[in-house]
Order: sequence, then C-alpha cells, then structure tokens
Amino acid sequence: MLRNALFCLALACGLPAHAQDAAESIPPDIGQRVAERYVVPSVVAFSGVTGRLVGKTGELCAAPGDDALEEARATFADTVRAWGPVSILRFGPLVEESRFEHLFFWPDVRGVTLRQVQGVLAKEDESAATPASLKEKSVALQGLPALEFVLFGSGSEELAGAEGAYRCRYSAAIAANLAARAAELAQAWAPDAPFHSQFTQPSADNALYRSPGEVAGETIKALTTGLQFARNAELLPALGANPDKANGKRAPLWRSNLTFDLVGTQIEGVMGLVDAAEFRSHLDEADGAIVNSMLFDLKHALKALEEVEAPAETAFTDAEDRARVSYVGVALEGAERTISEQLSAAIGLTMGFNALDGD
Amino acid sequence: MRSTVIDRRTFLILAGGAALAPAWAEVAEEALFLGARLNNGRFEAAIIDEKGRDRLVLPLEARGHSFAIDQPRRRAVAFARSPGRFAVAFDVDGRNEPIAIAAAPDRRFHGHGVFTRDGRLMLATENDFEAGRGVVGIYDATDGFRRLGEFPSDGIGPHETLLLHDGRTVCVANGGILTHPDYGRAKLNLATMAPSLAYIDAASGEVVEKAALAPELNRLSIRHMALDAAGHVWFGCQYEGAASERPPLVGRHRRGREIELFPGPQGVLHSMQNYVGSVAVDTSGMVLATSSPRGGLIAFWDTETGQYLGRQSLADGCGVAPIARGRVLATSGRGAVVSASPKGERGLVEAGAEAPAWDNHLRRI
Repeated sequence: MLRNALFCLALACGLPAHAQDAAESIPPDIGQRVAERYVVPSVVAFSGVTGRLVGKTGELCAAPGDDALEEARATFADTVRAWGPVSILRFGPLVEESRFEHLFFWPDVRGVTLRQVQGVLAKEDESAATPASLKEKSVALQGLPALEFVLFGSGSEELAGAEGAYRCRYSAAIAANLAARAAELAQAWAPDAPFHSQFTQPSADNALYRSPGEVAGETIKALTTGLQFARNAELLPALGANPDKANGKRAPLWRSNLTFDLVGTQIEGVMGLVDAAEFRSHLDEADGAIVNSMLFDLKHALKALEEVEAPAETAFTDAEDRARVSYVGVALEGAERTISEQLSAAIGLTMGFNALDGD
Repeated sequence: MRSTVIDRRTFLILAGGAALAPAWAEVAEEALFLGARLNNGRFEAAIIDEKGRDRLVLPLEARGHSFAIDQPRRRAVAFARSPGRFAVAFDVDGRNEPIAIAAAPDRRFHGHGVFTRDGRLMLATENDFEAGRGVVGIYDATDGFRRLGEFPSDGIGPHETLLLHDGRTVCVANGGILTHPDYGRAKLNLATMAPSLAYIDAASGEVVEKAALAPELNRLSIRHMALDAAGHVWFGCQYEGAASERPPLVGRHRRGREIELFPGPQGVLHSMQNYVGSVAVDTSGMVLATSSPRGGLIAFWDTETGQYLGRQSLADGCGVAPIARGRVLATSGRGAVVSASPKGERGLVEAGAEAPAWDNHLRRI
C-alpha cells in the first residue's frame, strides 16, 4: 500500500528530466559565477583578439611583406588560443544564428572548406572579399579553418607580395566576419543583455532557465560536449584506429600546427569553467574528490599535449607522439565520464537516459 | 562479417511467472509490446505484456532503438541505435534462432525499419555516409535477411519509416542531420539542414511525393511518425536551433497538401524543450501521443482537428505504443511502465534505480 502511494507520488511530480530537485549542492548563484568569472572574460578576450586580427590583416594588405605576414599569422595563432575557451560554450549565443559554424566550421568530413576556399581563390571571387557579402556565403568560407588555409595553406607565401592582393583582401574579410561574430557574442553576454540575465537569474517565469539546477545542467552539458568534441571531432579522426590509418591532415588547423594549441586551450577552458562554477565548494569531501579526479585527468592530458614533439601533421603517426595523443583521448574520455556520471549525480542532476542524447 | 553472438538459452529467458502463463499460441491475441532497454548494465530487447511484465528478453550487443514488426508472421527486427552496425531478426514467441543482420560496410542503420505487408521484404533506413545521403536498405525476409539493394531516401539522415495504408508506399522522415561514423553522433550540417517527408513506392523506389517545412524551419528535424485512422502521417520533431526559440514540434501531413504544424498551448510547448522523442496513435486512430523525455511528459492530440487534449507526466518518458482507445502504454528511462490517456495515467511498473531503463521506443506487436 505504502509502496503504491510512493509510486503515485513519484509519477505526479513529473519533474523535468534534467532539473531534479536541485539540492543545496548546486551553488544558487552558479549562473552569476560562470558568467562573470568565465564566460564574459573569455568572450571579451576573443572579441579583442579578433579585433587585432582585423588590424593585422589590414596592415598586411596595405603593406605586404614577410614581417607583416608573420604578424598576421601570429595573431591568427592568438585568435585560435582565445577561441579554445569560447568554443566549449555551445549553448545560447554561440548556438544562435549558427555562430559556432560561422566561426569554426568543424568537423569538415567532406573537405568542404578546402574545396570552397580554393575555388574562391582561383576565381578571385569579389563577393568573398567584402565582409557583408562573405557573410551570406557558405559557413565553410568564413571561419577560422578557412582563414587558416588562406594564411598558411599552399600559395600563402604570395601574401608577402603584391601578387597576393586578392588573397589578402579575402583574409581581411574573414577576419572582419570573425570579429563581428565575436562582438555579437560579447554583446549577448554583456551584463545588461537578455541572455545574460536569463542565465544569471533563473526563475519560474524565466523563458530559458527556471532554476539554478537548469543552469548547472547547461554548464555540465557544455563541459561534456566540449570534451567530447575535442576528443571525437578533433583528435580521434586523425589518430585513426591504428598507425596505418593515422592522418594528421584530418586534424583541425594542422597547416598552422595549432591543433594542439586548440585542444589545449579547450581543456584549459573546461578546467576554468569547472573552477568558475565552484562545484567543489558545495560538495562534501567525498564528492569533492570527484572534481579532483576529473581535474587530475585533465592536467595530465594537458601535460601529454605539451610533450608532443612533432608538428600536428606528423604527430599522429610518430610512435611516441601517437602514444601521447592516445593518452590525451583516454584522459578526456575519463574526465567526460566523471562529469556526466559522477559529478552530475553528486550535485543532484539526473541526466535522463532518453533526454540526454536521444534520437 | 561481424556477427551478433546470441546464446539461445539466454534468448529464451522468460521472466518470472511466465511459466504459469498459457502457451504462446493460445494467447496470440493478447497485446504485446516490444522495446529496447538497459538492464543491469546489459542492453536488450524485451517483450512485455499489457501489465508491463516481461515475456521475452533478447540480449543485444549494444544500445538498441526501434523495431520492424511483421505481426502476421510473429517476427520482428531489432535495430541498433544510429549509427548502428547491427540488427537482429527474431521470432517474437521465441520459437526460432535469431538472425544477425550486419550493416553493409559502407552503410549504418538508422534505428528504424518496416516489413512489407506480404512479409517478403524488410526495409531499413540507413546512412550512405561517404556520399552523405540517406538510403532505404532492402532485405529479403524470406532468405535470411540478405541485403538485396537500396533506394535513396531523397534526403539526409533518414530516421523513422512507415508503410502507408495502401501497403505499397513507404513514408520516410528525413531528419536532415548529416553524421559520419568517424565522428560518432556529431551533427555535421546544422547550418544547412533540410528535413523532409519522402513518400516512396516500395516496388520501384520512385519518390512519389515529398513534403518539406518552410525554409525558416530548416532546423526542425522531422524524426518520428505514426499513421492516424484516416491514413495521414503525424510526426514529432526535434529542434536543432536556439533554445530561446520554441517552434511547433508536432505536425500532420495529408498527401497532396502542405504540412500543418500544431503548437498546442504555450506552457506545454515550452515544457517539451524543443524535443519530441517518440509518437504513437491509439488503437482507434483518433488520438496521437507525443512523448518528450526532456520535458518529462506525454502530450495528447486529436488527430481530426490537431487540438491538444491533455498531458501526463512521466520523468524521462519516451516509449509510447497504442494499448486501447485513447490510451497508450508508455515507458521511461527510469524503468516506469504506465498506461496513459489524456485524462489520467496508471502506474504498472514503478520507476527505480534497479529497474530496466527503457530506451526511446516501444512498439505494439
């Protein structure tokens, strides 16, 4: 009898699948912490560096030369490293209007970027050389992978001379679009913007987040999605099932040898986001150990990445580096599981079997 | 070729109490339901009766999804969750050895399929991942489920497929999402999605009609379908756009007309969190049930008018299948089995940490 009564109660509650009775183990101001300590600084930094990139590509076009090209390339590298921490925020403003794809069209399974960018360069397509008309074209033509080919791919040395004039204008248009999308992100996360308020002030009548538990759920999902993306979309395809199947050219940004910078800054981003959310301070010692175990995995992943010696193009086939990258994959998978299985349970989130990643 | 190793003794496991039940042949008329689930760390397909009691359990090598059912011949095919490498054909009364069906090397199963009415063919939605196009694989159900060929689904990411009442046309929901096995379940083309319903003559493979959503709804992935009493296609969607947008998730397509979408009340639409996991029409064909595991609810709709009829709560509830007039049997990822109608619900098996976690779909045999 009692059993039946309990059963009926459980059914009647009908709590949303990822917002169970958020206990005191969820920091009530988690949205505020995440926004102020992690998101806003990350998107503002990204916006700043893309602004510099616009400047450097502009200078290169105005006065082509080896030094100017080097500076543009170095600023591109800074942009990628600033993108890493932003790229893991795959919800809200980064998802709206396909911003993620506009900034970083990846994975590019069918090599669309290379084909389209080479097409634009061969034709000297004027509609790709102004930011407004470029925005209307394929997303593969306007993100970081496209700009990487323009700045580092075959023929990029012509950027140092007058014969690279068109190529340079196209690079400047991409940089301008990156800066525009980055500015939109920064605006959407600005303290007085609607999304910022929804994320930081969850409430029953909030259209997006009804409780701190839902904000925590969004944060957890961003962490696991970010780790999965780095492993499954960025590292594993290039690593292949065995050394014969390895191919560094399937990794993102191998031409500029920024693959491991990208993954490294994404891992640092995950650690920074966990830190900002302060999950640990609301957990007891035993559950706090979950966070430590995850951070342990990520620190070792970072260390292994730093130890990779060969450039990305060959690191996946070189025996020693391959072992390091494989280790990174294992560590990222471990950290992801710790978050999705243990951390989410410890803070009282139940990620539904069907709701989490259904079909 | 990769084989699905199934131990016949395990296959024939009958749940406790089943020994007291009459022989299968004598209860052929009783309502039986088929679903995939995770039970104590093991993936399986399970047949349950209308009280939610286990009748037959078939181990699966990985997570299952949905089923093709050949009701007159008492057999079914369980599909792996997409991108799936395996399917298993089996006798729903456990009389024969199951048959493993491996995906063609350059294809992956997409979780759903149908039998033709004469039981000769089984059709499965598949991904031709190198070409990035959907196909429908054709299998000879009279000859060990040998793959005979395929026809294009005329879209990307085909998901559920139905055989229409005419017995010759299949309708395929092209969800529009491109995937590639090297990248797991990553969605590769969100910016350029173009979901559709394709009506295909099963005999010729010819696309006889195609219906698409308005261009501004290109991220509204059409995934699951059910037929109402009049033979019209009802479908449920999953929105891949911004969470701040709440497009309608339930629609109907009548041949020769435009797709109609039914938002229902704002509160319910909001609760569904841009995600319908499964749809079913009741035994009368007049009531549609749409589950939203993210919202923890099942919403009901009048199939004549598209009017919203009511909702029931079911945390992580997803599987729905017709059990009676205006009523569905529903399963949840937390192990609950309930009988639900617009007016109320009755618990049959309670949720619990030890209970088998039911996966997306439940089918009536």
